[in-house]
Amino acid sequence: MGALRIDAEGEADWHLLNMIITDAVSCDRGLADRLADAIDDRELADDWNEWVVPELEEGFEAELAFVKMTIETARQETSGGVGPLWVVPREAQRWYGALNQARMALEARYHFGPSDGVDFEKLPLEKRGAFMRSQFYCALQSAMLEHVMR
Amino acid sequence: MADSDTLTLTRQSTELDVPWNVIVHDDPVNLMGYVTMVLMKIFGYDEKRASKLMMEVHQLGRSVVWTGQRERAEMHTQQLQAHQLKASIEKSA
Repeated sequence: MGALRIDAEGEADWHLLNMIITDAVSCDRGLADRLADAIDDRELADDWNEWVVPELEEGFEAELAFVKMTIETARQETSGGVGPLWVVPREAQRWYGALNQARMALEARYHFGPSDGVDFEKLPLEKRGAFMRSQFYCALQSAMLEHVMR
Repeated sequence: MADSDTLTLTRQSTELDVPWNVIVHDDPVNLMGYVTMVLMKIFGYDEKRASKLMMEVHQLGRSVVWTGQRERAEMHTQQLQAHQLKASIEKSA
Protein backbone atom coordinates (compact mmCIF):
# COMPACT_ATOMS: atom_id res chain seq x y z
CA MET A 1 0.00 0.00 0.00
CA GLY A 2 1.48 3.31 -1.07
CA ALA A 3 0.60 6.97 -0.99
CA LEU A 4 -0.79 9.19 -3.72
CA ARG A 5 1.13 12.31 -4.77
CA ILE A 6 -0.71 15.09 -6.56
CA ASP A 7 1.67 17.54 -8.21
CA ALA A 8 0.19 21.03 -8.39
CA GLU A 9 1.82 23.19 -11.04
CA GLY A 10 0.48 26.56 -9.99
CA GLU A 11 -2.37 28.62 -8.58
CA ALA A 12 -4.90 27.21 -11.06
CA ASP A 13 -4.25 23.69 -9.78
CA TRP A 14 -4.54 24.79 -6.13
CA HIS A 15 -7.81 26.48 -7.03
CA LEU A 16 -9.06 23.27 -8.64
CA LEU A 17 -8.16 21.30 -5.52
CA ASN A 18 -10.01 23.85 -3.38
CA MET A 19 -13.05 23.32 -5.58
CA ILE A 20 -13.44 19.91 -3.85
CA ILE A 21 -14.65 21.82 -0.78
CA THR A 22 -16.66 24.39 -2.74
CA ASP A 23 -18.45 21.65 -4.71
CA ALA A 24 -19.05 19.51 -1.61
CA VAL A 25 -21.04 22.28 0.08
CA SER A 26 -22.74 23.56 -3.08
CA CYS A 27 -26.00 21.68 -2.58
CA ASP A 28 -28.79 23.44 -0.70
CA ARG A 29 -29.38 20.33 1.46
CA GLY A 30 -26.70 18.60 3.49
CA LEU A 31 -25.54 15.12 2.41
CA ALA A 32 -26.78 13.38 5.57
CA ASP A 33 -30.20 14.94 5.01
CA ARG A 34 -30.26 13.73 1.40
CA LEU A 35 -29.16 10.20 2.40
CA ALA A 36 -32.01 10.11 4.94
CA ASP A 37 -34.49 10.29 2.03
CA ALA A 38 -33.89 6.54 1.59
CA ILE A 39 -35.65 5.84 4.92
CA ASP A 40 -39.29 5.25 3.95
CA ASP A 41 -40.93 4.53 7.30
CA ARG A 42 -42.35 7.88 8.52
CA GLU A 43 -41.84 7.25 12.23
CA LEU A 44 -38.33 5.94 11.75
CA ALA A 45 -37.48 8.81 9.39
CA ASP A 46 -38.44 11.34 12.08
CA ASP A 47 -36.14 9.67 14.60
CA TRP A 48 -33.42 9.38 11.96
CA ASN A 49 -33.60 13.09 11.19
CA GLU A 50 -33.47 13.97 14.86
CA TRP A 51 -30.69 11.65 16.03
CA VAL A 52 -28.65 10.30 13.12
CA VAL A 53 -28.55 13.09 10.55
CA PRO A 54 -26.80 15.64 12.82
CA GLU A 55 -24.14 13.09 13.79
CA LEU A 56 -23.49 12.11 10.17
CA GLU A 57 -23.38 15.75 9.10
CA GLU A 58 -20.77 16.42 11.77
CA GLY A 59 -18.61 13.59 10.39
CA PHE A 60 -18.94 14.87 6.83
CA GLU A 61 -18.01 18.40 7.91
CA ALA A 62 -14.93 17.04 9.71
CA GLU A 63 -13.78 15.31 6.51
CA LEU A 64 -14.07 18.55 4.58
CA ALA A 65 -12.32 20.57 7.30
CA PHE A 66 -9.40 18.14 7.25
CA VAL A 67 -9.01 18.18 3.47
CA LYS A 68 -9.37 21.97 3.33
CA MET A 69 -6.64 22.37 5.92
CA THR A 70 -4.34 19.88 4.15
CA ILE A 71 -4.72 21.65 0.80
CA GLU A 72 -4.18 25.07 2.37
CA THR A 73 -1.06 23.93 4.23
CA ALA A 74 0.42 22.39 1.08
CA ARG A 75 -0.43 25.49 -0.95
CA GLN A 76 1.21 27.79 1.60
CA GLU A 77 4.36 25.68 1.59
CA THR A 78 4.69 26.28 -2.15
CA SER A 79 3.35 29.86 -2.06
CA GLY A 80 0.73 28.73 -4.52
CA GLY A 81 3.36 27.46 -6.96
CA VAL A 82 4.72 24.07 -7.95
CA GLY A 83 4.58 21.44 -5.26
CA PRO A 84 3.24 18.11 -4.09
CA LEU A 85 0.18 17.19 -2.10
CA TRP A 86 0.33 13.78 -0.45
CA VAL A 87 -2.54 11.46 0.36
CA VAL A 88 -1.20 8.85 2.78
CA PRO A 89 -3.07 5.67 3.79
CA ARG A 90 -4.15 6.86 7.26
CA GLU A 91 -5.75 9.95 5.69
CA ALA A 92 -7.14 8.28 2.56
CA GLN A 93 -10.64 7.59 3.91
CA ARG A 94 -11.13 11.27 4.74
CA TRP A 95 -9.86 12.29 1.29
CA TYR A 96 -12.05 9.73 -0.41
CA GLY A 97 -15.03 10.91 1.62
CA ALA A 98 -14.48 14.58 0.77
CA LEU A 99 -14.17 13.77 -2.94
CA ASN A 100 -17.32 11.68 -2.70
CA GLN A 101 -19.18 14.53 -1.02
CA ALA A 102 -18.17 16.79 -3.90
CA ARG A 103 -19.36 14.27 -6.50
CA MET A 104 -22.60 13.57 -4.62
CA ALA A 105 -23.37 17.29 -4.44
CA LEU A 106 -22.61 17.78 -8.15
CA GLU A 107 -24.82 14.81 -8.99
CA ALA A 108 -27.64 16.23 -6.85
CA ARG A 109 -27.35 19.60 -8.62
CA TYR A 110 -26.79 18.51 -12.23
CA HIS A 111 -28.17 14.94 -12.44
CA PHE A 112 -25.41 13.60 -14.72
CA GLY A 113 -26.30 9.94 -14.16
CA PRO A 114 -23.81 7.26 -15.26
CA SER A 115 -20.83 9.04 -16.83
CA ASP A 116 -20.84 6.89 -20.00
CA GLY A 117 -24.30 8.26 -20.80
CA VAL A 118 -23.24 11.92 -20.72
CA ASP A 119 -22.89 13.72 -24.05
CA PHE A 120 -20.18 16.18 -23.04
CA GLU A 121 -20.43 18.35 -26.17
CA LYS A 122 -24.12 19.05 -25.55
CA LEU A 123 -23.67 20.22 -21.98
CA PRO A 124 -23.99 23.95 -21.21
CA LEU A 125 -20.72 25.57 -20.11
CA GLU A 126 -21.36 25.57 -16.34
CA LYS A 127 -22.53 21.97 -16.38
CA ARG A 128 -19.56 20.98 -18.54
CA GLY A 129 -17.13 22.40 -15.97
CA ALA A 130 -18.96 20.61 -13.17
CA PHE A 131 -18.84 17.34 -15.10
CA MET A 132 -15.09 17.67 -15.74
CA ARG A 133 -14.44 18.32 -12.05
CA SER A 134 -16.60 15.33 -11.13
CA GLN A 135 -14.57 13.16 -13.50
CA PHE A 136 -11.31 14.51 -12.03
CA TYR A 137 -12.50 13.72 -8.48
CA CYS A 138 -13.55 10.26 -9.66
CA ALA A 139 -10.09 9.63 -11.16
CA LEU A 140 -8.49 10.58 -7.83
CA GLN A 141 -10.85 8.24 -6.00
CA SER A 142 -10.04 5.37 -8.37
CA ALA A 143 -6.31 5.89 -7.87
CA MET A 144 -6.80 5.99 -4.10
CA LEU A 145 -8.86 2.81 -4.12
CA GLU A 146 -6.29 0.97 -6.18
CA HIS A 147 -3.07 2.21 -4.62
CA VAL A 148 -3.75 3.69 -1.17
CA MET A 149 -6.83 2.13 0.43
CA ARG A 150 -6.34 -1.58 -0.28
CA MET B 1 -56.72 -4.13 33.28
CA ALA B 2 -53.76 -6.30 34.08
CA ASP B 3 -54.69 -8.66 31.23
CA SER B 4 -54.83 -5.77 28.81
CA ASP B 5 -51.34 -4.64 29.85
CA THR B 6 -50.00 -8.12 29.32
CA LEU B 7 -51.47 -8.30 25.83
CA THR B 8 -49.93 -4.96 24.89
CA LEU B 9 -46.51 -6.07 26.08
CA THR B 10 -46.79 -9.29 24.10
CA ARG B 11 -47.49 -7.36 20.89
CA GLN B 12 -44.47 -5.12 21.49
CA SER B 13 -42.26 -8.12 22.09
CA THR B 14 -43.43 -9.75 18.86
CA GLU B 15 -42.77 -6.48 17.02
CA LEU B 16 -39.20 -6.37 18.32
CA ASP B 17 -38.58 -9.93 17.16
CA VAL B 18 -39.44 -9.21 13.51
CA PRO B 19 -36.21 -9.29 11.52
CA TRP B 20 -35.21 -6.15 9.64
CA ASN B 21 -33.38 -5.93 6.34
CA VAL B 22 -30.59 -3.50 5.63
CA ILE B 23 -30.82 -2.35 2.01
CA VAL B 24 -28.18 -0.71 -0.16
CA HIS B 25 -29.58 1.19 -3.15
CA ASP B 26 -27.82 1.90 -6.43
CA ASP B 27 -26.55 5.39 -7.14
CA PRO B 28 -24.50 6.84 -10.00
CA VAL B 29 -21.67 8.14 -7.78
CA ASN B 30 -20.27 5.40 -5.56
CA LEU B 31 -17.60 3.29 -7.26
CA MET B 32 -18.16 -0.46 -7.37
CA GLY B 33 -14.82 -1.21 -5.74
CA TYR B 34 -15.64 1.19 -2.92
CA VAL B 35 -19.06 -0.39 -2.27
CA THR B 36 -17.40 -3.82 -2.09
CA MET B 37 -14.76 -2.49 0.30
CA VAL B 38 -17.36 -0.90 2.59
CA LEU B 39 -19.45 -4.10 2.75
CA MET B 40 -16.32 -6.06 3.70
CA LYS B 41 -15.39 -3.52 6.35
CA ILE B 42 -18.80 -3.13 8.00
CA PHE B 43 -20.11 -6.71 7.84
CA GLY B 44 -16.84 -8.64 7.74
CA TYR B 45 -17.84 -10.32 4.46
CA ASP B 46 -15.15 -11.87 2.28
CA GLU B 47 -14.49 -10.23 -1.07
CA LYS B 48 -16.50 -12.79 -3.04
CA ARG B 49 -19.68 -12.27 -1.00
CA ALA B 50 -19.27 -8.49 -0.89
CA SER B 51 -18.71 -8.35 -4.67
CA LYS B 52 -21.84 -10.46 -5.27
CA LEU B 53 -23.95 -8.10 -3.16
CA MET B 54 -22.40 -5.07 -4.86
CA MET B 55 -23.29 -6.50 -8.29
CA GLU B 56 -26.87 -7.04 -7.10
CA VAL B 57 -27.01 -3.37 -6.14
CA HIS B 58 -25.58 -2.38 -9.52
CA GLN B 59 -27.77 -4.65 -11.65
CA LEU B 60 -31.03 -4.80 -9.69
CA GLY B 61 -30.97 -1.34 -8.12
CA ARG B 62 -30.90 -2.63 -4.55
CA SER B 63 -29.70 -5.50 -2.42
CA VAL B 64 -30.50 -6.83 1.04
CA VAL B 65 -27.02 -6.83 2.54
CA TRP B 66 -27.90 -7.88 6.09
CA THR B 67 -30.92 -9.15 8.05
CA GLY B 68 -31.37 -9.25 11.81
CA GLN B 69 -32.42 -7.41 14.92
CA ARG B 70 -33.75 -3.89 14.43
CA GLU B 71 -31.24 -2.11 16.65
CA ARG B 72 -28.29 -3.62 14.80
CA ALA B 73 -29.96 -3.00 11.46
CA GLU B 74 -30.23 0.69 12.35
CA MET B 75 -26.59 0.76 13.42
CA HIS B 76 -25.45 -0.85 10.16
CA THR B 77 -27.58 1.54 8.12
CA GLN B 78 -25.98 4.47 9.91
CA GLN B 79 -22.52 2.99 9.25
CA LEU B 80 -23.34 2.61 5.54
CA GLN B 81 -24.64 6.18 5.32
CA ALA B 82 -21.52 7.40 7.13
CA HIS B 83 -19.64 5.90 4.17
CA GLN B 84 -22.05 7.81 1.90
CA LEU B 85 -23.89 4.79 0.57
CA LYS B 86 -27.62 5.15 -0.02
CA ALA B 87 -28.92 2.74 2.61
CA SER B 88 -32.24 2.08 4.33
CA ILE B 89 -33.95 -0.50 6.53
CA GLU B 90 -37.25 -2.29 6.18
CA LYS B 91 -39.11 -5.09 7.94
CA SER B 92 -38.23 -8.45 6.48
CA ALA B 93 -41.17 -10.00 4.59
